[in-house]
Amino acid sequence: MMKLMKLEWKKNHLSKYFKTTLIATVLIFLITAFMAKMAQNQGELMFTNFNSYMSFVNIIIRVVFVIFSAVLLSRLVIDEYKNKTLQVLFTYPVNRKKVIQSKLMLIMGFCFLSILFSTIVISLLTFMVNPKLELFPQLLELGDVINTFPTIITISIMTACLSLIPLYFGMKKKSSSTTITWGVIIGLLVNATVSDGAATVNMVQLLVIPGILALVGLTIVYFTFRHIESQDIL
Amino acid sequence: MTTMIEISEVSKLYKNEEVVSKVNMDIKKGEIYGFLGPNGAGKTTIMKMILNLVKPSAGEIRINKELIQKKSYKYLKKIGNIIETPVFYNQLTAKENLELHSEYNDRLSNARIEEVLELVGLKSVGKKLVTEFSLGMRQRLGIARAILTDPEILILDEPINGLDPIGIKEIRELLLFLKNNHGMTILISSHIVSEIECIADTIGVINQGKLLREVQLSEIRANGTSQLVLEIDNPEKAIAVLEEQFGNPEIKQVGKTLYLKNTEVDQSSVMQSLVRANLKILKIEQHQETLEEYFLNIIKGGESA
Repeated sequence: MMKLMKLEWKKNHLSKYFKTTLIATVLIFLITAFMAKMAQNQGELMFTNFNSYMSFVNIIIRVVFVIFSAVLLSRLVIDEYKNKTLQVLFTYPVNRKKVIQSKLMLIMGFCFLSILFSTIVISLLTFMVNPKLELFPQLLELGDVINTFPTIITISIMTACLSLIPLYFGMKKKSSSTTITWGVIIGLLVNATVSDGAATVNMVQLLVIPGILALVGLTIVYFTFRHIESQDIL
Repeated sequence: MTTMIEISEVSKLYKNEEVVSKVNMDIKKGEIYGFLGPNGAGKTTIMKMILNLVKPSAGEIRINKELIQKKSYKYLKKIGNIIETPVFYNQLTAKENLELHSEYNDRLSNARIEEVLELVGLKSVGKKLVTEFSLGMRQRLGIARAILTDPEILILDEPINGLDPIGIKEIRELLLFLKNNHGMTILISSHIVSEIECIADTIGVINQGKLLREVQLSEIRANGTSQLVLEIDNPEKAIAVLEEQFGNPEIKQVGKTLYLKNTEVDQSSVMQSLVRANLKILKIEQHQETLEEYFLNIIKGGESA
């Protein structure tokens, strides 16, 4: 399994996506910080505290990386079908289920780690620059930042699972553009529901919808590849 | 000789349409088996069934006596293949594609990759992306990939498509080399007889999903039928003369044209006796039935049946 993942990694030049993750993280921080500062200059307070700032940042992060996941899905899974390279792949002495599993694990792992990385980096950056920049009027302590980590991890896992939903639409016509379009739609839809009035939403509401969607994502994967070993590859 | 690929009573239905119907094939170890048939006859489907990409609706396939089941995959290690036009990972170079192939097969050797690239004449372009390759180059790379891990069985679906005449010759020689020196069993399909007649040991003719005939090429060559075609102003008299002269040769008469089946009949003595009998010979020619005609006849016969 590890070997198959390594081969997928090599085949798709996945290491270059690290750079993309890094750039996305920096951009998200710059844009949100810029928005906070601009609002302040207009005399309006956009974020009252760390949590309201981070919930906004999290929305953007999740949208970005759900779309990112869809891009990976289209490259690792849809393209193999579309370009018929799957025919080559399945004439190798390897277990087909494991091949597909390793692809999906890579995508989910990438999505999970990217979200985690991005959130933590931006949290820490905020913690460091807030005393100077004053994005929001709150005296931030490191404890406040660390307290958010468990939630971040849970949500990252869920997002990684629900980011597989575009697979369902993409597999119908084996189309990359469909996959990515649905990535955008799912990303925006999910986060629109979650984010609506972040301050008033409690933990249960925050987790239930992504939780359900995460299950939907996993179910889709199960049903898409259930018969992969006894299917005709055309 | 032992049987390497055994296909028995295999059928395949696509949407209730039978594309392969009760095919039986026996491919011996170390032979080149030519698979001949028009486009859409079911050649590719049978090859895909051997590779387990397509699952038979009925019947059994055995590779080296091992029964292929829906979930079998370990036996694929023994088989190199090209199915339809070979596809590659376009974002990778030719060499990287081959590396990937050998890693999936658990046999990475850089020396071997260089060797194979040289063998198919692509050594100088190994570092190029596959997207830059022409159809012929892709075909060559496909062959390189198929033989890279020294498989026992080679399955080639129209490997000569898109190759130039020199390339075709090189590939033929390569296949003969692989058969003679490595004892590879090769299944090669084509819709053009001349492509495979000079290398195949056995030819299976398929049309509309049915295997019409399986013949040893050596047999056909031995029974090769040649005819003497004569056009004569007075065919009845000519027949009488010829029967007197040559005992009882097989003669077929169509209008003024006579066909002499007997290969023993010598053209010059036929001419002599006809001239002596004062017959006018309008035309005389030796006609050798080519393999192409032989197979076309089989295919046509199959269609009308």
